[in-house]
Amino acid sequence: MARIARTLLNRLGGMLIVLAIVVTVVFVIVRVTPGDPAAVMLGADATPQDIADLRSKMGLDAPLLVQYVQFVLGLLKGDLGQSIFLNQPVAQALAARAEPTFFLTLFSILIAVSIALPVGILSAVRRGTLFDQIVVTLTMVAASVPSFWLGLLLIQVLAVGQGWFPASGYGGPDTPFLVRLHHLVLPAIALGIVNSALITRFTRAAMLDVLGDDYVRTARAKGASERRVILKHALKNAMIPIITVIGLSIAMLVAGAVVTETVFGLPGIGNLVVSAVLRRDYPVIQGALLVVAAIYVLINFAVDMLYILVDPRVRL
Amino acid sequence: MKKTFLIATLASALAASTGLVPAQAASEGILTVATIGEPPTLDAMQTPTDIVLMIDQHIFETLYTYDAQWKSVPLLAAAMPDVSEDGLTYRIPLREGVTFHDGSAFDAKDVVASLTRWMAVNSKGKQVATIVESLAEDGPQAVVIKLKSRYAPLLATLSQASIILPSEKVADTLTEFVGTGPYALKERKPDQYTQLVRFEGYKSPEGEPSNYAGKREAIAKEVRFVPVPDANTRVEGLISGQFDYADALPVSAYERVEASGTAKPVIFENAGWASLNMNMKEGVLTKKELRQAVQAALNPSDMMLAAFSDDRFFSVDASIFPTGSFWHTEAGVARYGEGDPEAAAALLEAAGYDGTPIRLMTSRQYEFHYKIGEVAKAYLEAAGFKVDLQVVDWATLTTRRADPKEWDIFITHSNFPGDPTTINTITDTYPGWYVSDQKAKVVAAYMEAASDDDKLKAWEAIQAAIYDDAPLFKVGNFNAVAGVAGSVGGYTPTYWPHFWNVTPKN
Repeated sequence: MARIARTLLNRLGGMLIVLAIVVTVVFVIVRVTPGDPAAVMLGADATPQDIADLRSKMGLDAPLLVQYVQFVLGLLKGDLGQSIFLNQPVAQALAARAEPTFFLTLFSILIAVSIALPVGILSAVRRGTLFDQIVVTLTMVAASVPSFWLGLLLIQVLAVGQGWFPASGYGGPDTPFLVRLHHLVLPAIALGIVNSALITRFTRAAMLDVLGDDYVRTARAKGASERRVILKHALKNAMIPIITVIGLSIAMLVAGAVVTETVFGLPGIGNLVVSAVLRRDYPVIQGALLVVAAIYVLINFAVDMLYILVDPRVRL
Repeated sequence: MKKTFLIATLASALAASTGLVPAQAASEGILTVATIGEPPTLDAMQTPTDIVLMIDQHIFETLYTYDAQWKSVPLLAAAMPDVSEDGLTYRIPLREGVTFHDGSAFDAKDVVASLTRWMAVNSKGKQVATIVESLAEDGPQAVVIKLKSRYAPLLATLSQASIILPSEKVADTLTEFVGTGPYALKERKPDQYTQLVRFEGYKSPEGEPSNYAGKREAIAKEVRFVPVPDANTRVEGLISGQFDYADALPVSAYERVEASGTAKPVIFENAGWASLNMNMKEGVLTKKELRQAVQAALNPSDMMLAAFSDDRFFSVDASIFPTGSFWHTEAGVARYGEGDPEAAAALLEAAGYDGTPIRLMTSRQYEFHYKIGEVAKAYLEAAGFKVDLQVVDWATLTTRRADPKEWDIFITHSNFPGDPTTINTITDTYPGWYVSDQKAKVVAAYMEAASDDDKLKAWEAIQAAIYDDAPLFKVGNFNAVAGVAGSVGGYTPTYWPHFWNVTPKN
């Protein structure tokens, strides 16, 4: 027990160091990047004096060190800062965009896993057959297809052509929750298909690794059914790399659905990050990337914990 | 049937005799408008960008607005101002019975408070502030503006972004967006929607609708502005019926929308003009002959064709203002046409050009800027210039252009303002820093002009000075393409699309 507690503390310390590095690097990068939020806000007609006045009003003319210290002190108090562009707290802006991102991630990963696990397992079991070759080819194609292109194709066929789904957005002010979720179907399919390719290939490779092992042969020799051999003996031992890639996919979906959210006009966290970068909304970029990094680290931590459950031999 | 016809005839006769437009039935329908992005704020005084002005014009109103000739006509003002003999005092009467969305009455106090803020925070307002001696109420239904010197563009500047709010809502940072417009703000969810609802207490100006002037009717129950940054998604959303209007469509989508059967494309001609602005403060182009060499080297037709693909979407015109505009003139036009590398090379030699590369800055945020830059580079190199094409994002460009050490030419675009002297390049402080004696002289003459004819003559002199001083190269005029759902009625294209007098599908 003490060992687990010590391990958890060590992991927590490591996570805090990672987040501190992320905070500092992001702070520096956004400020050394050319571009000025005041100039973006005021538009093409603004004079340098107008821009300087607004910079001063927003506190952007303070020395970098002062701004950094203010930012870190705010973080220690749980304050991610105030959005320059949206004129609202960053935490509030993130919270408002959490719902579409959360459900988009959930649906995408459900679609990806429900395709990838059975197809990857079957492909490994039927190695070298026509089915396997089709799977290998299709997953290569799906992994190569940009999700935005797939998104546009789905919009054209299923939204414009058939009218089954809305082409864009997340509903209006009076849109019920279930209808809002309906807006997520097409982007979830676009992301799910692309992610399923990667997970399928990992599942297939991991299964191929274990299917030739001695304990699988032994199980077969003991007369276990093929279903039991594959699902109980082989799959369980192949799960560690599969869990790793699923975990990574979830983490990447939280931060990486940027293009898909833009194409589908979804007001999610990825869209917020892109908009914030274009607007040079420093507090939002910092806050959003910090939250995304924290989610990333936490998911990796959760994946590590799952290793123990799946394989008790694993020591952290 | 006969009875219906008789009623319709009588209604038309009444409208014709009174100059009124027959009222449309209020609809319970909603207009969903796909915009190019999220407005940074709804404070049009602070941030008078196109997207802000497009939404704000439904909520707020100004004392004057633009008619189809882009002349200023009354909106919240009751009439054109009474101007004193010396042209220094403007008495502006205000309309009676107008109320704000919060129910408070509109009066002179609100105008003074709003214009005082406008002169403190808005770039055009700041310019006006330098020549305003005083701004005061003249009873509850009039204001008086006293100027230090004549200022011809005053009414034009009072027609855009100088929005009127209740005096008690005027603050350094606006938190409540209450106006007198036909629609009131209900809710704004950044990056999701801005929801406007019909203002039942709206009091419209009278007259035939003309651009932004004339009768305004909030026919749709709601107007929702939805940010859709991806242009293809705006197209598909329009065709699938999700949007009633989609703004700023790519020209390549024109045929697709036209063939859809569910929506139709609309073109707003001469939405703006593209230009190459030159640095007159520092660097190689401070020599006038070299700026003129740039003018001579470039071929505007090829640049516009590369940028807009098809001549349905652009026109090449040396006059800074387009054909049809009151300000259109060929006066002073020089070194504009086919691109003349020999003439440009001669100017280069005469100026003793030493081969220093010209830093030509452009952005892909506006794809046509980038394409114009690519063609400009080729023509400038053909004339003997060395060109360093710098492609950056728009935010970077706007920062860099403020520093005269960073660039020689940047590519931008502008709309056609109501008054020619409000063109940015004419301002001494706008990046490019166009300061010249001849410009100062002709602009001063314009400010003194009282009649439209005098103003036009003065403007001709300004355009001649611009061509001679060469602070910019006008590339051409471009049209804006948008799309409207087939079920929507009464939409008339304007520079900032507006949705009063527009009937949604039921």
